[in-house]
Amino acid sequence: MIISRYKGFADNLLIALNIFIVFLLLADGHIVIPQWLQPTGRMHPLVLHFPIVLLILAMLLEFFRFMPEFTDDKLYQQFTTTLLLVGALFSAITVIMGLFLSHEAGYANGNLQWHKWFGVCVTFIATFIYWFRGKSRYNATIARVNAIVLVFFVIVAGHFGADITHGDNFILAPVMHKKQVSVDKAIVYQDVIQPIFESKCNGCHNAEKSKGGLILTDQASLLKGGKTGKLFVPGQPQVSLLLQRIHLPDDAKNHMPPNGKPQLTPDEMKVLYLWIKDNANFDQKVVSLPAGDSLRTIASTFLKPAEAVEEQFDFAAADDKTIKKLNSNYRGVYQLGTNSPALSVDIFNRTAYDPKMLSDLTEIKKQIVSLDLHKMPVKDGELKTIAKFENLRTLNLNYTDITGSTLKELTSLKYLRSLSLAGTQLKPHSLDQLGAFKSLNELVIWNSGLSATDIQQLKTANKKVQIIDGYKNDGKLIPLNSPQIKNTAFVFSKPVPLVISHPIKGVTIRYTTDGTDPDSLHSAIYQPGVMIADNSTIKAKAYKPGWYGSNIVSAAFYKDSFRPDSVQLLSVPNEKYRAGGAKALADGELGTMDYNAGKWLGYQIDMQVLLYYNQPVTPHTLTFNCLRMINNQIFLPNEIQVWGGKDKDHLKLISTLKTGEQKKDDPTVITGMVCKLNVSAPISCIKLVAKPIYKLPQWHPAKGQPSWVFADEIFVN
Amino acid sequence: MEKDILEHRLGINRRRFLSKLSLGLGSVALGSLLVPDLFSGVKSDDADFIPGIPNFAPKAKRVIYLFQDGAPSQLESFDYKPKLREMMGQELPLSVRGNQILTGMTAKQASFPLVGSFYDFKQYGQSGAWVSDIFPHIGKIADDICIIRSIHTDAINHDPALTFFQTGAQQGNRPSMGSWVSYGLGSENKNLPAFTVLLSKGKGNGQGVYSKLWSNGFLDSIHQGVQFSSSEDPVLYLNDPNGMDRVERRKMLDKLAELNDISGKEFNDPEINAKIQQYEMAYRMQTAVPEITDISKEPDDIIKLYGPDCLTPGTYAANCLLARKLSENGVRFVQLYHQGWDQHGNLPIEMGGQAKDVDQASAALVTDLKQRGLLDETLVIWGGEFGRTNFSQGKLSKENYGRDHHPRCFSMWMAGGGIKPGIVYGESDELGYNIVSNPVHVHDFHATVLNQLGIDHTKLTYKSLGRRYRLTDVAGNVVRDIIS
Repeated sequence: MIISRYKGFADNLLIALNIFIVFLLLADGHIVIPQWLQPTGRMHPLVLHFPIVLLILAMLLEFFRFMPEFTDDKLYQQFTTTLLLVGALFSAITVIMGLFLSHEAGYANGNLQWHKWFGVCVTFIATFIYWFRGKSRYNATIARVNAIVLVFFVIVAGHFGADITHGDNFILAPVMHKKQVSVDKAIVYQDVIQPIFESKCNGCHNAEKSKGGLILTDQASLLKGGKTGKLFVPGQPQVSLLLQRIHLPDDAKNHMPPNGKPQLTPDEMKVLYLWIKDNANFDQKVVSLPAGDSLRTIASTFLKPAEAVEEQFDFAAADDKTIKKLNSNYRGVYQLGTNSPALSVDIFNRTAYDPKMLSDLTEIKKQIVSLDLHKMPVKDGELKTIAKFENLRTLNLNYTDITGSTLKELTSLKYLRSLSLAGTQLKPHSLDQLGAFKSLNELVIWNSGLSATDIQQLKTANKKVQIIDGYKNDGKLIPLNSPQIKNTAFVFSKPVPLVISHPIKGVTIRYTTDGTDPDSLHSAIYQPGVMIADNSTIKAKAYKPGWYGSNIVSAAFYKDSFRPDSVQLLSVPNEKYRAGGAKALADGELGTMDYNAGKWLGYQIDMQVLLYYNQPVTPHTLTFNCLRMINNQIFLPNEIQVWGGKDKDHLKLISTLKTGEQKKDDPTVITGMVCKLNVSAPISCIKLVAKPIYKLPQWHPAKGQPSWVFADEIFVN
Repeated sequence: MEKDILEHRLGINRRRFLSKLSLGLGSVALGSLLVPDLFSGVKSDDADFIPGIPNFAPKAKRVIYLFQDGAPSQLESFDYKPKLREMMGQELPLSVRGNQILTGMTAKQASFPLVGSFYDFKQYGQSGAWVSDIFPHIGKIADDICIIRSIHTDAINHDPALTFFQTGAQQGNRPSMGSWVSYGLGSENKNLPAFTVLLSKGKGNGQGVYSKLWSNGFLDSIHQGVQFSSSEDPVLYLNDPNGMDRVERRKMLDKLAELNDISGKEFNDPEINAKIQQYEMAYRMQTAVPEITDISKEPDDIIKLYGPDCLTPGTYAANCLLARKLSENGVRFVQLYHQGWDQHGNLPIEMGGQAKDVDQASAALVTDLKQRGLLDETLVIWGGEFGRTNFSQGKLSKENYGRDHHPRCFSMWMAGGGIKPGIVYGESDELGYNIVSNPVHVHDFHATVLNQLGIDHTKLTYKSLGRRYRLTDVAGNVVRDIIS
């Protein structure tokens, strides 16, 4: 009776604990474990052994429960029930403790998740079994399956738990590869070189096996060498037997490791080479090698990165209100991280700068760890203020107005690590006291007015500091880019200014107007204000001392003195190439090689155009601007006739121009065909007739068909 | 009687039911003591992320992402595969290709002849990284960069792959990486947008770049990328119109802000507030931008460093120089796109030209940041949206071949911002088709970039349409091995 009362209580407790677990799981992200509860969580590793033993034992009994000899054994049955109940209760308590513990920092997610869910399942399954094992449908098979499932879950949960406590692969680790060391602690020989031997060579070259009398497991045997002789002479990789053997072709007799065994990777071979070249030092730390050293660089790739430890600051955080107050449009004050007291400050916009923007910051002088003042007109005197920011780590004074005379003020900054002075006008010797900066490890002095000798002296005197002097052109010449002709209209009636520019200052632009290539001696130098008065082809090229000359750019200008007041097409252009109609011929806009772009009028019949003038004119030439693309069936007109008179009913032939035979290889061009006009009295109307070749010759793919005439503009002068 | 039977069947009666229920409620009540702020009305799940402050101290303050749009071939740039030359013209073994799907452009090809790089490779620097001869300048900075040869992605066509790289999803309605950074870290310089975009075009076969790539998605529109123009004025219409001076402009903006504020209060639309802020920023940009773009105080060498084209607006070199200036002045995320890397055919000719356009300026940017002491705090990223196949698309000849899209394995590089310099990470197989060690997925890449900026990628979330979104969706691992 008493037992059953306790049992009733325990039954209820089991339910309560299960519900509590469900709650903890659902509310997982919201829960915060108070400090006083943490010891409970930490007892998880202690308590967990109980449910493991109890449940496994209970399941063993459960497995045989329906054996005929036990079914009537009251003690057996009751003992099993009680054992299972106690086991389930312990497992529930263990799970709850575990869930508490999981909220403490420092548990990686992967294994923890598996452990958590398997553990929770153990409790749920145990409870489930406890609850349903008395039902009538519960038979021997179900009991056995349940027993196996629960034991399986107990083992798996236990396994993941062990992995969390002892690390992955705790059991097999001794027979597998050693754990990697992080870069900052590694010793070249011990953590890089020896592991290579271990994985690829020691199988045959160890104290027991020592093939060829060679042992590679320790320093002394390494230095001793094998039967054939010493493995290497420190510092002389070219005479090393070790390197020779590993570099022999794979199928060579003496190649090591022997053909068929795992081979050294190129990086492994290289690191062995570099280590021997660097005197085969057995105690050197990786980080004690100079930065950028080959051995260091390659050795690092074999190692784990140094744990990125966030720098801890021991000063108090500034008041949020102060930070807010100090923030303005031109001054940003930022917290380094959510829980960090450190602040980073940037000041922007030279025109808005006021020394007060800097002195205001004394309110947070303890918290500033990074200050960016680049391009601000900061004067020498203001460094005194900066020197008060006692925890400053990084200071950017690029392109400020300082001269360096007060840089010694900053030596009081005992944490200052990085100082940037690029683009300042430092006086010589202003960095002589560089050694007084205690923590400085990076100094940027590119373009800071210091001479090459000054910089060299600095570098020799301060080996600890990485001095960045940046890019300086080594005198190698490179070509300039081309100048740009900026004119927008290339057809003019009155002289127009020629506009050529180049983005680089101090460039001389030389040009020609006659189509010849400009040179650096004889061609005219471009000055703003140069006018173009006649048809001309401008070619321009840029020059500057210290550079090669640029490529040539060219542009054609067309004079059109007598622009007609109206234009009329007497024959209709092909519907695909209408270019907006008659006015295209006198709008000053020229076509390009893209004949489809809507700038060209195209005809396969005689092109006939009338030009009208309100005031009579006396022109001497007419230029018909047209395109030739032999492959595309576009030819220059075979013949051009120009007629003139006072109106369209009184026209006389005033010019005829015939094109000679056009050949297969004639280049693709845009060209002005110039017709000399025979005009004695002023005229008000001009008619132009441009005839295609009516039948293309045999050699052309479109033989027998008419050619195309493409025109974009007519100039009358 | 019936009740008894029912109770027996259920194995429970009212009394027991109620007592068990009270037990359950008791447990829940006990558990709820562990939930702080349960009844205070504060949503504690949003409390672990405060927009504008990094989760932890960042290595990098800013990012410059040089996106090579169209996907440059890894086999002609950073993944040296001499074996491919040896096996030139031989068939790609089916065992290597496995179940990889192909694009419609090569799926019907009768054969897949392997093709080696047209260009030679050299080793550079102390790290001995192999770089192709068409990238000599990048070769020279090999000790400053970390080359990753094991990037892989999910998409095989340009637009989804590009969108995936930029937004962490292929569909294109999510915020861009730069917008996430702007949302997470806020603006460093209040006179400039936190996220700017610069475009340039090479002569090679190009693919489209659309403004959805720098969209703010569901984030506030102040986090949208601001595209700078490739004309002489990087920001158009910054000057006051004729007849309006600064004082007038100020008065006008004040009045406008007042009106906007009224309707802001009336409609409670956050976009109105965003608009006010944008007007204010544009006003301040009027003085900030000319100051930023001025390089009159810098030596001629800077032009030689980037190449003379850097002063011709709209070129890649000019954009690199502008990117440096913007970044130096506190723009959190500068996104460049350079089009023209889609070499399905004619690769030996086109790729050389493309490389010539970007090689010098890309390397110059890294050198320039370094000589200002800014490389430590600026993360530079160079790469495309996927790689290219190791077999030829179309006819293979000695002088000419093409390569199709290949998402399984390709290369990119990063520099500065706390990334280990002078290392080569990850490895592809002998034929450059599959990754054999240290794969880096696009989600991993995003997680790593955010990590360098001091952001835990699992905490940078935004609730939209009833669920929380991340740049890395539900995936992504920080690649610790490349972090110094």
